[in-house]
Amino acid sequence: MIKKHTQIKMNNNLTITIINILLNLIDVLCIVLPVLLSVAFMTIIERKQLAAHQRRVGPNIVGYYGLLQPFADALKLILKETIIPSQSNKVLFFLAPISTLIFSLLGWGIIPFGQGLALSDFSLGILYTLALSSLGVYGVLLAGWSANSKYAFLGSLRSTAAMISYELILSSAILIIILLTGSLNYNTIIEIQQSVWFIIPLLPVFIFYFIAILAETSRTPFDLQEAESELVAGFFTEHSSVPFVYFFLGEYSSIVLFSCITAILFLGGYNLPEVFVNNSIINLQSIILGLKTCIFCFFFVWFRATLPRLRYDQLIELCWLNLLPVCVAFIILIPSILVSFDLVPF
Amino acid sequence: MNNLLMLFFFVPFLAFALLGLNVLLATHKPDESKVSAYECGFSVIYGQTRSTFQIHFYTVAILFLIFDLEILLLFPLAVTLYQVSTFGFSIGIVFFIVLTIGFVLEIGSGAISLTNFDQPNQK
Repeated sequence: MIKKHTQIKMNNNLTITIINILLNLIDVLCIVLPVLLSVAFMTIIERKQLAAHQRRVGPNIVGYYGLLQPFADALKLILKETIIPSQSNKVLFFLAPISTLIFSLLGWGIIPFGQGLALSDFSLGILYTLALSSLGVYGVLLAGWSANSKYAFLGSLRSTAAMISYELILSSAILIIILLTGSLNYNTIIEIQQSVWFIIPLLPVFIFYFIAILAETSRTPFDLQEAESELVAGFFTEHSSVPFVYFFLGEYSSIVLFSCITAILFLGGYNLPEVFVNNSIINLQSIILGLKTCIFCFFFVWFRATLPRLRYDQLIELCWLNLLPVCVAFIILIPSILVSFDLVPF
Repeated sequence: MNNLLMLFFFVPFLAFALLGLNVLLATHKPDESKVSAYECGFSVIYGQTRSTFQIHFYTVAILFLIFDLEILLLFPLAVTLYQVSTFGFSIGIVFFIVLTIGFVLEIGSGAISLTNFDQPNQK
């Protein structure tokens, strides 16, 4: 009798655990699937917008207004043959694109899409983001090394040097924001911006930050990894079909992710001061965050359409000789103002 | 099991599943010209890969290591600026002055500039 009772209890526990795991899985799917969809639409937005900048029509055949183009592209690439170069290091050759995809998708785990609407309300959210963006370098480095092709190797060297250099600008710009908020949690950062968005007092810092994320995601004018005229396709010259899709997904996912983080850090995230009181049925907060993210996604494509590419030595000297000293000056200036006028806001 | 942990399991699963889909659905007929290293227009020249590269990239990586560490060491100060007030802040400034001296030395030694890297003592 007692034995039977414990067995029922164990079965109950097992059921509860399984239900919990399923609920977690649904939560994760609720984040990952929209992210993948937004990445797909980011590619079509880029093509459409570039076309508009150049007064072309852009893709408009597949689906209404060309909206199904990214899905057709993805399906085509999945059905293509994966070519593994005979001289390459096979394991690293596949591990590099996979790690790129993983590290850029994992960043979405802590983004708050509304009040308390995040996968994890992590108290060290900023450090998590910085750590993942640092780890993103490994995909590039491993891809260039494992493919054993001179174009891939040179592309990965340049790209790695650029990414790690601009990582400094990124983390020092974020440090300045942390000085004003006193917390590494994204929710706190958003709540503090209820009164004023950080883009207003910190406009110069925002400009450095945006230059840094352009370089961090390897976009024009810093896309030296894929300087087509010299390096064919940079570090993923040898990658085809699904490994190529992973690099592509990783790049565009990090564009959308960094746009989202920029909206959170500088434009007040899901808050719109004093305009909306959120008591409606529709959750306006997520829509507001989405619109703010779209502004920065637009900027990314706009810069690609406008600016020419820098030379490699110009890129490194711009970072180390121009941007970094000014960033260091700001790191001293802003806490000095805060301490001397007793303005520390937390 | 929390949500973040689930994400850590789910995303690699997704990556490997898509790769598995490709293995199942796509044709695999490698031949010699497909699997050889990419080259523009002519056949592959051997011995051009895994060769030496300029030490500039390595220098940039080492400098990054130091500077990133120093900036990350300032994060605790940034979080607790109110508690540590003027004394903690002045200690932070001293830390930053040391960093700046190192930075000036590094720019002066020409470690950053790629163009005259082969003549580091050029005045």
